Amino acid sequence: MSITLAAAPETGGGSLRRLLRAEEWQLALPLGLAFVALFVAPLLLLVGTSLFDDDKITQPGFGSWAKFFGDPFNYKVVADTLLLGVKTVCTTVLIGYPLALVYLDLPTRLQKVLIFIIVLPLLLSVVVRTFAWIVVLGREGMINQLLQSLGVISEPLRLLQTELGLVISLTQIEMPLMLLPLISVMSRLDPNLRDASAALGASRWRTLFTVIVPLSMPGLVAGCLLVFASSTTAFISQTVIGGVRLIYLPLLIWQQSLVVYNWPLAAVASLSLVVSVLSVIAALSWLGRRSSGHLHG
Amino acid sequence: MTMQSFNRRSLLAGASALGGASLMPRGAFAKGSLVATTYPGSWEEAYRAIVVPALKKKEDIDLELAPLFAMDQIGKAKASRGAPPFDVFILDPGPRIVGIEGGIFEKFDGKKLSNAAKLPAGFIDDSGICVGAQVVGIAYNPKKLPAPKGWKDLLVEPYVSRLGLTGFQTTFGTASLIELSKQFGGSLTNVDPAFVELKKVLPKIAAVGLPAAMPGLFQQGQCDVMYTNTQTVATLKGKGIDIEFVKPESGAVAFYTTMHIAKGTTETANAYKYLDLVVSKEMQEAMTKSPYNFIPVNKDVVLPPDLPMKSLDEMSKYVVQDWAQINPLRAAWIEKFNKEMAK
Amino acid sequence: MARRRSLGDISYGLVIGGLAALAVLIIVTPVIVVLMTSFTEGRSLRFPPTGFSFRWYEQLFDATQSRQIHKAAGNSLEVACFSTLFGVVLATLASLGLARNRRKMARIADNFFMSPLVLPGITFGLAALVYFSTLGFRPSLDLMIAGHLVVTMPFILRTTTASLSQLDPALLDSSHSLGASWFYTLRRVTLPLIAPGIAAGAFLAFMASIDNVPVSLFLSNARTDTLPIRMWGMMESTLDVRVAAVSGVLITAAFLLMLIMEWTVGLTRRMRD
Repeated sequence: MSITLAAAPETGGGSLRRLLRAEEWQLALPLGLAFVALFVAPLLLLVGTSLFDDDKITQPGFGSWAKFFGDPFNYKVVADTLLLGVKTVCTTVLIGYPLALVYLDLPTRLQKVLIFIIVLPLLLSVVVRTFAWIVVLGREGMINQLLQSLGVISEPLRLLQTELGLVISLTQIEMPLMLLPLISVMSRLDPNLRDASAALGASRWRTLFTVIVPLSMPGLVAGCLLVFASSTTAFISQTVIGGVRLIYLPLLIWQQSLVVYNWPLAAVASLSLVVSVLSVIAALSWLGRRSSGHLHG
Repeated sequence: MTMQSFNRRSLLAGASALGGASLMPRGAFAKGSLVATTYPGSWEEAYRAIVVPALKKKEDIDLELAPLFAMDQIGKAKASRGAPPFDVFILDPGPRIVGIEGGIFEKFDGKKLSNAAKLPAGFIDDSGICVGAQVVGIAYNPKKLPAPKGWKDLLVEPYVSRLGLTGFQTTFGTASLIELSKQFGGSLTNVDPAFVELKKVLPKIAAVGLPAAMPGLFQQGQCDVMYTNTQTVATLKGKGIDIEFVKPESGAVAFYTTMHIAKGTTETANAYKYLDLVVSKEMQEAMTKSPYNFIPVNKDVVLPPDLPMKSLDEMSKYVVQDWAQINPLRAAWIEKFNKEMAK
Repeated sequence: MARRRSLGDISYGLVIGGLAALAVLIIVTPVIVVLMTSFTEGRSLRFPPTGFSFRWYEQLFDATQSRQIHKAAGNSLEVACFSTLFGVVLATLASLGLARNRRKMARIADNFFMSPLVLPGITFGLAALVYFSTLGFRPSLDLMIAGHLVVTMPFILRTTTASLSQLDPALLDSSHSLGASWFYTLRRVTLPLIAPGIAAGAFLAFMASIDNVPVSLFLSNARTDTLPIRMWGMMESTLDVRVAAVSGVLITAAFLLMLIMEWTVGLTRRMRD
């Protein structure tokens, strides 16, 4: 029912309504102006920089683009970077979503405690976090010591400087970005919905997938967007925990801009990252809008 | 919670932060102020402990130290065109040449230094002044491994499976990989043999990381042998970490550390006062002592016994690399390292 | 409702409970590691810590030994507060203007405003530095606030928009049809309902600013360095235990702030509503 209502001002509404719409749109102007000055302009300068062939920025041309995309290795790096984001999103949803479900079932007092726990990773500086993960995942780290003392393994597992270790640590770091939007959407769901579903004989699994998941979609999509974007650009975690044998775009950008000073190439690499990540984001965001369109239907 | 109360809270927090910040020393300048870069780690600690108070006392200049690797300094300086983010650079040979080519240094005039005559000939030129030297070799954990003898040992057991590797982004990394390459028939300008040999043992190597990550990896036992400079070893040892420095059989690599005045700085006079103080006998002497163990450049300094290099005259006994030849190749080496080491 | 627990329901409890427990374990472990390490007696960051002492906290609070850290912390707080404040105002306005607008342009604008999240911080830092210095500015806290605003504002926009999309349009329409002005509806209906979303976003933005490395790395100099930059330097080659102590202080401070917000304005209650 609400879909028609929401669409009403655009189609059947009076002139006043239309005026209101116009006003609403203008509310985005201050942010738009700030973005033009602080974001678009620097980026245009970046695009301009990418259109030079040499690191002295004197020869205009498409040489840097040709060089970057002429190298198959870079395609692999782009793909690996996006895949890393997807893997992190998957693990974050896999263990984060159940935590959000548990949150819903907890009494209020414990919910408060859980919120505090969820935001903990945000409070631990990215710099110190890398040290903590060396301690947990390292050769002489907690996981290896535990498994060895239990007799599960005889030789220490290699966890640090592997993609598995990196995904684990990113999952921790990104968890609040998934859970906060998820919980704020989920906790607005009418609790009677679940009771009603149960009363109608649906199992808890069925209720989860047919009622809760669709209704929590806006929060889930918001969380996925944040986690995906953040994990694909998490330079310090990628390089310190993942090591430099795992190569993602941020490392290339860092090397080109700060180590070999080839800014045109650095600009090309970062624009490629932006474009590829944005396409995934746009797809996710489209999915999110589609499902939230159904929400009030 | 209403919107209003949340905003008020932010404002409150903002206001109190501002109040707090205005109480801090920022902006409260003495007679002069100066921003100089320093290397993170022992350089920063030594300069903070010794030079900063001395400069304040002697010249009433507030010295702010910005800890940055040489490469990062050049990157920032080049990005900021004409408005240098700092007044004095501290650089290794490679970045020094990049800086000279990029024209980011003020022309240096040695006559403005009272201590100029105390330095060996050739230590002052148009671009800047030499303030010390660094020695690069192998560091290992003596509790876990016997002492390695040379670069070649790094690629065989028991070392290879405990090796921590870094690439060409730092001076010490580049210098070490060149030396490794030389052991297998390579040269200053040919590091391919090192790649070939590294690739053979790659799955065994304990860690391949950024230079900044290595101390942490070493300390937590992820790797027990790595290449690094003597100052890092001294610092880590000072922190109670099991680490020893070894000069490889083929010789440790030594290179000069230089300081330069940034082009376009407004603090030229203070920069000369700072550099004059840095190479003075008192400062140089203080920095040769433990835990800093710097190699002095001032000829008047009486040397303590535990330095890796007694004086800069010994530079001839060390491997000295020509960075004018290395620099043009490094970008390609960095890319090659990515590709060859990638999983 | 007395319903016999089926096998499906038991498996649901086990799987969901197990995964949630794993999530809590992964979240909490690194924090505990760092907190434990900060109380070490030893001279460097090392786990497990040797002995127990407050010496690193004492050193951290010592005004002469840790002057640089105190200054950096002041800078970080100032930058985080102001970038979040501007971010809340701008993002909330924009979200109100765009979230319910179904035109294509609005979607494009929304994606555009979110894009700083996906631009590598390193690139934006470099682009911003080149841009600002082309305009003739020297690194300052004001530039840093501007830079942080761009990269942290999307957190606020995202959560606010998510809250708005949860808002039942019928509510707003009935308010309108009852003759309430647009502004009155905004103040009495919309804002109170989306406030939790804004608060959650502001909190994320604030913490993201406090913890930002890449943008600060380019826009700061020795006089304006921020806490993470300082800590990165301390961590890099000296493994200074004070970085763990800083985390201990940050966690405690943020924890207290959240508790105060909870008592005064009911942060978590609002998030549940």
